[in-house]
Amino acid sequence: MQSFVLSSEQLNVLFETLMAKMPMMGPKQRSDQPGFYHFDWLKSPGELVLHYTTTTIPPKKAFFPPVETMFSFKLGDPPELTHIIEDTPFVLAGVHPCDLAAIKALDDAYSVPPADKRWLANRRRAIIIGSDCLPDEYCFCTSMNTADARLPCDLFLTPIDRGWLCEVHTDAGKNVLKNIQKDTAQKKDIEDASQWRLQKAEKISTKLNINFEAFAKILEAGGLTPIWKEIADRCYSCGSCNTTCPTCFCFNKYDEFDTTLTSGIRKRVWDSCQLPEFAMVAGEHNFRGERWERVKHRWHRKFLYLFRQFKRPYCTGCGRCSRACTADINMADVINQLAAASEKERSHA
Amino acid sequence: MPETAMNAGQVSGFYMPELAKVYRTCRKETDIIIEAGMHSGRPLGHMPGQFVQVSVFGYGEVPISICSSPTRTPDRFELCVRPVGGVTKALYNKNSEDWIGIRGPFGRGFPVDLTKGKDILVVAGGIGIAPLRSLINYIMDKREEYGRLIIVYGAKTPDLILFTSDIEQWENQPDAEVYLTVDEADNSWNGRTGVVTLPIREIEIDPARTAAMVVGPPVMYRFVAMELLKKDMDPDNIFFSLERHFKCGIGKCGHCQLNDLYVCHDGPTFRYSDLLARTEAIEAWAPEKDQD
Ligand SMILES: Cc1cc2nc3c(=O)[nH]c(=O)nc-3n(C[C@H](O)[C@H](O)[C@H](O)COP(=O)(O)OP(=O)(O)OC[C@H]3O[C@@H](n4cnc5c(N)ncnc54)[C@H](O)[C@@H]3O)c2cc1C
Ligand code: SF4
Ligand code: SF4
Ligand code: FES
Repeated sequence: MQSFVLSSEQLNVLFETLMAKMPMMGPKQRSDQPGFYHFDWLKSPGELVLHYTTTTIPPKKAFFPPVETMFSFKLGDPPELTHIIEDTPFVLAGVHPCDLAAIKALDDAYSVPPADKRWLANRRRAIIIGSDCLPDEYCFCTSMNTADARLPCDLFLTPIDRGWLCEVHTDAGKNVLKNIQKDTAQKKDIEDASQWRLQKAEKISTKLNINFEAFAKILEAGGLTPIWKEIADRCYSCGSCNTTCPTCFCFNKYDEFDTTLTSGIRKRVWDSCQLPEFAMVAGEHNFRGERWERVKHRWHRKFLYLFRQFKRPYCTGCGRCSRACTADINMADVINQLAAASEKERSHA
Repeated sequence: MPETAMNAGQVSGFYMPELAKVYRTCRKETDIIIEAGMHSGRPLGHMPGQFVQVSVFGYGEVPISICSSPTRTPDRFELCVRPVGGVTKALYNKNSEDWIGIRGPFGRGFPVDLTKGKDILVVAGGIGIAPLRSLINYIMDKREEYGRLIIVYGAKTPDLILFTSDIEQWENQPDAEVYLTVDEADNSWNGRTGVVTLPIREIEIDPARTAAMVVGPPVMYRFVAMELLKKDMDPDNIFFSLERHFKCGIGKCGHCQLNDLYVCHDGPTFRYSDLLARTEAIEAWAPEKDQD
């Protein structure tokens, strides 16, 4: 892998050059909530914030928006359907390692044949520039093997004394840097970056007390209903944990007529397995009608079903669900609680 | 990209329906049978037990079993719809010459190849007869390839019995055994009354050479399974087709998950033995366990 050094001015030139050619999405400060950041289309490179803790909504929205139109229809004989999908290239900048890992997780899940072509088409449009992060007390990426994730980014930035260390991960990344003034990275620059990452990792205090395989086995063994019920007693089934999660990929879709009632659109929207009607069928039969069954499903899906299928848990340790939960249900705490309970059970047996 | 420029693979991955024309409908008080054909002229190319995602533009898209047999009208297919909500009510109001959207066929149908040479026991409850009617007519058209054909069909009331003219034909076949039952009889009814498990009890089967294909409301599966196990059937030879909430039909939207399985893609037909190892599969639905 090649690495370069860019001064802050040179990095700004890079973003200006890119933005002259194509739109760029990146983290910027929320005008309604200073100190909070969100991924949005940037008006100028100056809006981009590379030092930020996290965003409420993950960057998967660049490829899979919370609400998107899939096609429009016009009734007639025959009706006319128009497929709606963007094809302009864009840049997604300022993506943290855990969120890069999440994009990779969704690449894998959506590529299983028959693939989700909407996700794949949007992914092909993007150049991704990752950047190193500022963790808080909710992050537990060091327990999830995602603290240093890089794929699928094209370039990755880490702050160093001389500005930014810029790792080149793909040919597309190399192309982007072609006419940009830069320096080759020296040993000292690489060491700076390692030091920076070491400091970051040391700040992460939330840790899991169990490895993925052992945790999957605990879930598989079952017998945890009292704990699921205890968590469910606090949960409101609001679905915020799913909405903020970078690895959740469930969706719903619905049609909308326009005012003429002769044409309209079909949309797809993010959905949440915590909502009571998620698994309901006609006749009011509900396969996960009880709150504790839905709570259990969330952990089972992330750490057992998808873990077995893709050999990686569908959680990056980003902590977004824990930050978002008004009931203070904390992802890492729950995992440790389940691990401890099953440990206790074993020592009693 | 215009809709016509897409091939079938693209259509499903982009969630784009293909147009289909309604040729004929048969509307009764409680259901409608819609005969349709793809606008492109392509045969649907389904197998018994598969489903399509049916669109009524402006209302939405729902999974519906294909109830016709692929052995009969390759360029047309039939859907039997019971109006229970927004989209199914819109389908109920369709007439000939109207348009609908189709994605599919999707899913794993009944194991018609695997069970060749076996006695086939069909158990249908309510609207569950729809996919099984496709299977029964498929077997009727390949009669020599299978052993006995035993059909058990239960409906709530006599007027809810679907496909009455098919049933008449089946009853007139010397090599088909038909057991029809209703939960609640009325004056017009002089057949059996009682749930579907009652006729199953009467039937003598050779458990070693029988395969059972079962479709019905969620609550039915457990009771049918108990009866079949009492007859010494192996859970490997019992096939259940399950209903779940489907949105995508291709294993992506998450709505139909049954533990690690996607009912739309890994099913909707499953071996009972595979379901036994899982939760949320066929437990009886108990209202007192629902929402708090
Ligand atoms: C594999 C499969 C085959 C089916 N075959 C048939 C058939 O041959 N004939 C037939 O009449 N019905 C069939 N159904 C059921 C049919 O899909 C639902 O009745 C329909 O989706 C309800 O949608 P709606 O808009 O009319 O009702 P809504 O107003 O959306 O809701 C009515 C009820 O149906 C539930 N529901 C909503 N969407 C779905 C969904 N996508 N899947 C299941 N339940 C849903 C809701 O939770 C609610 O309880 C099948 C379902 C599956 C999964
Ligand atoms: S955010 Fe918290 S309260 Fe809301 S559904 Fe998730 S766990 Fe429950
Ligand atoms: S489950 Fe929670 S911590 Fe894990 S990736 Fe999703 S939002 Fe982040
Ligand atoms: S219906 Fe979407 S995953 Fe099965």
